[in-house]
Amino acid sequence: MNAVLANQKASPDALVQVRGLRTRIGAKTIFDGLDLDVPRGSITAIMGPSGTGKTTLLRHITGQLRPDAGSVIVDGEDVPKLSRRALFDLRERIGFLFQNSALLTDFSVFENVAFPLRQHAKLPEELLRNIVLTKLQAVGLRGAAQLMPSELSGGMARRVALARAIVFDPMLILYDEPFVGLDPIALNQVLRLIRTLNKTLGITSILVAHELAAIRQVADRVYLIANGKLVAQGAPDELAHQDSPWTRQFFGGEADGPVPFQYPAPDYATELGFAERTR
Amino acid sequence: MNPRPSYAIGTGLFILLGFAALAYLATQTTSVANGIASGNTYTLKARFQNIGQLKARAPVKIAGVRIGDVQSIALEPQRMDALVTLSIDKQYNDIPDDSSAAIFTSGLLGDQYVGIEPGGSPTFLKNGDEMVLTQSAMSIENLIGKFLVNGGPKSSSSDSAPASSAPPASGHP
Amino acid sequence: MNANLRRNWLLQGIASVGDCGLFFVAVLGALPKSLRHWRETCRQVWFVGAMSLVIVMTCGLFVGMVLALQLYYTLSIFGGTAALGTVVALSLFRELGPVVTALLVAGRAGTAVTAEIGLMRATDQIDAMGMMAVDPLAYVASPRFLAGVIAMPLLACVFNAMGIFGGHLVGVTWLGLDNGTFWGNMTSTVSLHRDILDGLYKSIVFGGIVSLIAVFQGYTAPPTSEGVAYSTTRTVVFSSIVILAFDFVMTAFMT
Repeated sequence: MNAVLANQKASPDALVQVRGLRTRIGAKTIFDGLDLDVPRGSITAIMGPSGTGKTTLLRHITGQLRPDAGSVIVDGEDVPKLSRRALFDLRERIGFLFQNSALLTDFSVFENVAFPLRQHAKLPEELLRNIVLTKLQAVGLRGAAQLMPSELSGGMARRVALARAIVFDPMLILYDEPFVGLDPIALNQVLRLIRTLNKTLGITSILVAHELAAIRQVADRVYLIANGKLVAQGAPDELAHQDSPWTRQFFGGEADGPVPFQYPAPDYATELGFAERTR
Repeated sequence: MNPRPSYAIGTGLFILLGFAALAYLATQTTSVANGIASGNTYTLKARFQNIGQLKARAPVKIAGVRIGDVQSIALEPQRMDALVTLSIDKQYNDIPDDSSAAIFTSGLLGDQYVGIEPGGSPTFLKNGDEMVLTQSAMSIENLIGKFLVNGGPKSSSSDSAPASSAPPASGHP
Repeated sequence: MNANLRRNWLLQGIASVGDCGLFFVAVLGALPKSLRHWRETCRQVWFVGAMSLVIVMTCGLFVGMVLALQLYYTLSIFGGTAALGTVVALSLFRELGPVVTALLVAGRAGTAVTAEIGLMRATDQIDAMGMMAVDPLAYVASPRFLAGVIAMPLLACVFNAMGIFGGHLVGVTWLGLDNGTFWGNMTSTVSLHRDILDGLYKSIVFGGIVSLIAVFQGYTAPPTSEGVAYSTTRTVVFSSIVILAFDFVMTAFMT
């Protein structure tokens, strides 16, 4: 793992390479020259204060959003420059787990998992059924195949969404906040799945999350993003003991620090009208 | 296994119902309804000096009962009169061949129709025959004109509302 | 300030009309691809058409009945009650059938489509489709648009048939008009081409309008509950306005 860290600038086996990424949404600068690499076969966690554009980064990787400048290279292809068709081809090799699962509400669990297959591959019904059931078995929900999404708990829905994301055996899975709102049991189930998928199928995983304890268990590597830049990186345990104000605040959970407690505002005394009285 | 068949059937039924409604409207409420028995009609011809406002598909009646409709109206160039082709329901195949055809107006301002006045001949009109005795459309303008010229002084005694009320009285021959 | 605001508002209105036009082109462009999703189109026809049958049939019946009552009263002033069947049929086929059906569908199915797509957006389902390399335009927008174009004329036909039935019920059964007069006058005047088909063309266009507006509003709805609610309202308001405006234009062209 240390070797991976050492050649972080230009690793040849990086599945995802982000270079000089700059993005503005409206008047707000989201990324201001971001560089990062995700090695093949690793589990990489991306952390950072809320609103720093972690989800935006995932959208750049899948090409849902085009950056203002910089390159996002996934498996050798520069995503922002891809044509729509090439982008769709690429997306077939990427699984995406949405924060709120994004199951299609008018299809059953089975049909949800079968959806990408039905759309892209003309498979005999029996083969399709076997593939879907295999994936559902992998997430432990084969018995729930005929339920509708509205009948599922949050954890179950996320596992179904995971089954759908892996139905094409992708090379890369992006998890957008996979642990949010899960009870400890469901959280551990999802955690175990992420690890199993990574180890058994060699799927590269990028994880956007806040749960430090969970990330320590799975992630090989953590990137900490703040103010549009990479502020710290390393293995989770290393990072926790790194001595930068960012890591201290983030991993120590301090309320105030580089990320201010106060939202930017005019001077307090002035706004309350005290400034003039004291003068 | 999957829920498709149910709404596939529903959709199919809906589309069929929609087309059934269209077919119903097209056949039952339009002039197609009149011509629908086209296999069960025969045609007669009649010449008129003046057909007035008669239109194709106007009804043909005997004693006020509808027996067919006007199939087509054409101008005969040599004789400069209107050749009206009538299509008559086959079940009324016993119209005497000395019957006369006339163009009437239903009501004061209603549509015009062809009325057939049966004659007394023992032989009947056949498909393609022409009715010899015809009477042209009554033109209200002409009637008013005649009334003003001829009948004006006669009825001036008690009429406060003149011309307009008189023509229908004389419109029933 | 106020003038500035108003100009802004006007510009925004023009811009959203432009957006809608571009969206229309995009939906049309996605139509060939959406033929692969014919099952989805079929499901939408069921949803837009078959599910609207009850309301359309009920309203058609009552519209026919009230037309017959009103027109009987009016026609009796002129002694022309014999023309009742004709007048009921013509008003239904040429005007009320297409327009009222379109308004009903905008209220019944258009709002549902807007809310559905708006919620699909809010819950990332649209994005999820994009991530599964399924073009959401071809899978979500075009089938719904196509379904509206298919279902609307059929619904209008059902509406018309029910309206004629209602008019017959009132005119003949209750008001004692002669059955033969009712039908005879109708059949001798109503033309398949000029009246029924013109009405159908209208309702095909209305179907396109309603479903385009509904899908567009859903697609551009802000992903909040308030945003979806506003968009649903806008669907009804805009559909109604555009339908009536187009009705006038089309009538002017057709007659």
